[in-house]
Amino acid sequence: MPLQISQLPHKEQTLFRSALKLFEVRQYKKGLKTVEQILKKFPQHGESHAVKGLFLANLDRKDEGYASLRKGLEIDPNSSLCWQISGLVHRLDANYVESSKSFANALKTDSENIQILRDLAQMQVQLRQFDQLVETRLKLVKVNPGDPMFWLGLAVAHQMNKRKWKLNVAAMLSKSEFSELLLYKNWLMELNGDYNDALDNLKEIHSRIVDITAWKVQKARLLLQVGRKEVAAAAYQDLIERNPDNNEYVRGYLSCNGLDLANSADHSAIIEVLEMLEEQFPRSNSLKFLPLTFCEGDNFARAADKMAKHALRKGIPSLFTSFKSLYNDAAKSKALEDLFEKYHGAISSSKRFDNSTADEPESALVWILFYLAQHFDYHTDYERALSYIEMAISKSPETVELFMVKAKILKHAGDTQSARDTMDVARQMDIKDRFVNSKTVKYMLRNSEVDEAEKTMVMFVREDAPHKIQEIVDMQAIWYMQERGDAYNRLGDLGRALKQYHQVQVSFDAYYNDQFDFHQYSLRKFTMRSYVDILAVGGHSVLTPGLHCLGPRRHQPIPASDENKRVTRNGTSKQGNHTLSAGVGEAKPAAVDKDPSGSEYVESADLLADGLKFVEALEKFAGDQPQTHLSAFEVHLRMNKYFLVLKAINALKTADPAHPALIPWPKSYGALSGLDTYMTENAASLPHVLAACHALLAMDANANKERVKAAMLSAAAPEFGSARTIESLLAAKALAIKAGAEPSDIDKFAVAAKQVYPMSSCF
Amino acid sequence: MITIRQARAGDQIGMQNCNLHNLPENYQMKYYLYHFATWPQLSFVAENEQGRVVGYVLAKMDDDAGAQPPLDGHITSLSVFGAKGVSLHVRVSNTAAYSLYKNTLKFEVDHTEEKYYADGEDAYAMKKDLTGMYLNEKNDLDF
Repeated sequence: MPLQISQLPHKEQTLFRSALKLFEVRQYKKGLKTVEQILKKFPQHGESHAVKGLFLANLDRKDEGYASLRKGLEIDPNSSLCWQISGLVHRLDANYVESSKSFANALKTDSENIQILRDLAQMQVQLRQFDQLVETRLKLVKVNPGDPMFWLGLAVAHQMNKRKWKLNVAAMLSKSEFSELLLYKNWLMELNGDYNDALDNLKEIHSRIVDITAWKVQKARLLLQVGRKEVAAAAYQDLIERNPDNNEYVRGYLSCNGLDLANSADHSAIIEVLEMLEEQFPRSNSLKFLPLTFCEGDNFARAADKMAKHALRKGIPSLFTSFKSLYNDAAKSKALEDLFEKYHGAISSSKRFDNSTADEPESALVWILFYLAQHFDYHTDYERALSYIEMAISKSPETVELFMVKAKILKHAGDTQSARDTMDVARQMDIKDRFVNSKTVKYMLRNSEVDEAEKTMVMFVREDAPHKIQEIVDMQAIWYMQERGDAYNRLGDLGRALKQYHQVQVSFDAYYNDQFDFHQYSLRKFTMRSYVDILAVGGHSVLTPGLHCLGPRRHQPIPASDENKRVTRNGTSKQGNHTLSAGVGEAKPAAVDKDPSGSEYVESADLLADGLKFVEALEKFAGDQPQTHLSAFEVHLRMNKYFLVLKAINALKTADPAHPALIPWPKSYGALSGLDTYMTENAASLPHVLAACHALLAMDANANKERVKAAMLSAAAPEFGSARTIESLLAAKALAIKAGAEPSDIDKFAVAAKQVYPMSSCF
Repeated sequence: MITIRQARAGDQIGMQNCNLHNLPENYQMKYYLYHFATWPQLSFVAENEQGRVVGYVLAKMDDDAGAQPPLDGHITSLSVFGAKGVSLHVRVSNTAAYSLYKNTLKFEVDHTEEKYYADGEDAYAMKKDLTGMYLNEKNDLDF
């Protein structure tokens, strides 16, 4: 039996209690001294070792902290306190898995400890272990049924497990808190399928609701749900009055009229309804645009004409961007081309559209040319696109947007230098506009000018930031770190590239860790609806949009985060009337960058293990993207983990069954003949030929290099058509070099590529 | 096509990205989450067909200690929240934004705050009175 606190002399007992107090008030140094006094006399007291470990960890002496903690657990493996401390120390490192295990162990000998139960619940919800969460939450309400937070926590746990649950709201709360809670309760009724009860309940709670819009949305949806379409239509009409640009309201209104956008038989009736609404809400852009998404032929032309003229008269620069989603349909794209060319002819000759009652403003012509330039850019006819944008610029040489589009066309045409120069001209026209500044930075990076880009970027970093670059990282400017990493990668500076990607990973870690405090905060604020939203998407798709940049863009696996550089968990102080204080991870001043060249990443002892962490993150958050599984394949293959290699292949199949990297391997053939068949069958598809060449080099670089070289050097051949994107031609060039192409071969390749992209400077 | 709707948890990264591209005042993700977890009713996004956030309003209620209800909102879209007014700051040089607030949304300049921004530029502090808005709503309870 290990030494218990009660067996210590009175003096040491007092010291021990005061050490625990000192932890609560964050006096770690003093606390450390106090507990060391006990250990001097009683080195066999396990819990004192654990407490010492807790202080050390909080003083940033992590290794010593863990060592001391381990010693405590060795001596006293059944101590609830030791395990609780273990949970706290792992939590400091955001190691939720270990922390959760520790708290669970702590409960074995102290099963009703509210603090530990709460900490465990927080870990389980962060890890999305909703099954176990229910058990912990049930225990909490059993131990302390008087705390409304515990009941709320239980409701969330049931909801996340998709179990029916009714919430009793009877706490003393402020008006807005109570209102939120009532709405949450009503939502739970809806989820249970009790629509009529929920409707009755809505009437009862009306006078206590602060967020009236949410109440109205709930009402409209429930009425539609129970089929009371006439009343529901009035409810949606009321919502549209508040916000005629919300598509959900418009869709709801259509449903009330028995109409469904997805059903083409309904379309003519929908057009009538939308026209009626549009008359009532002429300012709504959504109502004008919606018909374009499903109309065809004359109806489409009429709707497009109406919206386009409106935008051209008002000079709305985003017209093409709005229409772009229609271009998936070739007929619509052609109709728009005809429409704008007709405008061009009419306005140039008479200053009027076909139905104008007076001369149109001079600017209308500029915006027509601007549109046509973007239209032909979309269709990769860069020459025509440029001639239109030049015409527009000559008529209106002071409009920034025109130069931005010109730069974009040049970028698409492969002339990264002129693209960057043109964007910089736009930037200098409006030096205070950060948007064009950001674009210039991006274009500079695409042109691999890292230093110039940095100088331009920091112009908008706040003056009082002590370290400008650190400020960009702290503000989580992921797009910049990613583009910068890509630029270094192109320049062959692997260390610096890895460093940038690493910083992207740090930001995503921070996003995930940021959620942690809200498991307590949201229950305290009673904003249950947003909290459930955070839980539902927070761990998954919320991270997807930018995460794909982590894995696929490089040829070598990249190392993952190191602990020393974790972004601090507190928000910036300037904005921060934060009421959040988690009591962990105090803010530290920005450190000067000790390794600007990123050598630690290149020299990392275990690049593959580090890269694996990225792959795991990608699999978790971006499993629907083919590139994720290609990265996983590469890393697992190098680690000789063949089961996981197979898993990656199967996952790729699920994500994209027709992906070119999936080369069929008939058993009856030898390896090469399988590839031969594949290459013959797909000889006209550049992505397939690229994939096959990758495989050839991977199987036997020496034997296959002539064949790869020949295939890759003819990647610019006309039969590949529009598959000859700049990216795929650059990929072909890289493979040709890998297969031993001579500089003279590459020169010839560049000439051929230039025929496809006459303006390009990147081959 | 743009739709304008209340911001959701999944929009926060898009809002941050939009902010970082366009504005000189930037915030960490936690600050966005803090808004969302505290005043979920007040922030809105404009989203395009591809689901990308192309614009946003990040708003909060006046949370100075000692403020008495009805409170003021900061930035916009607060009529739904029973606010008596709404305020915002805009750079003196930002004529496009100024004209949006002044002419389209009918804000008034309350006063000019000198050196409000980190780079030393002044700000117009603008206000809009919301009392009396939506007084003539239909009878909501008749269903």
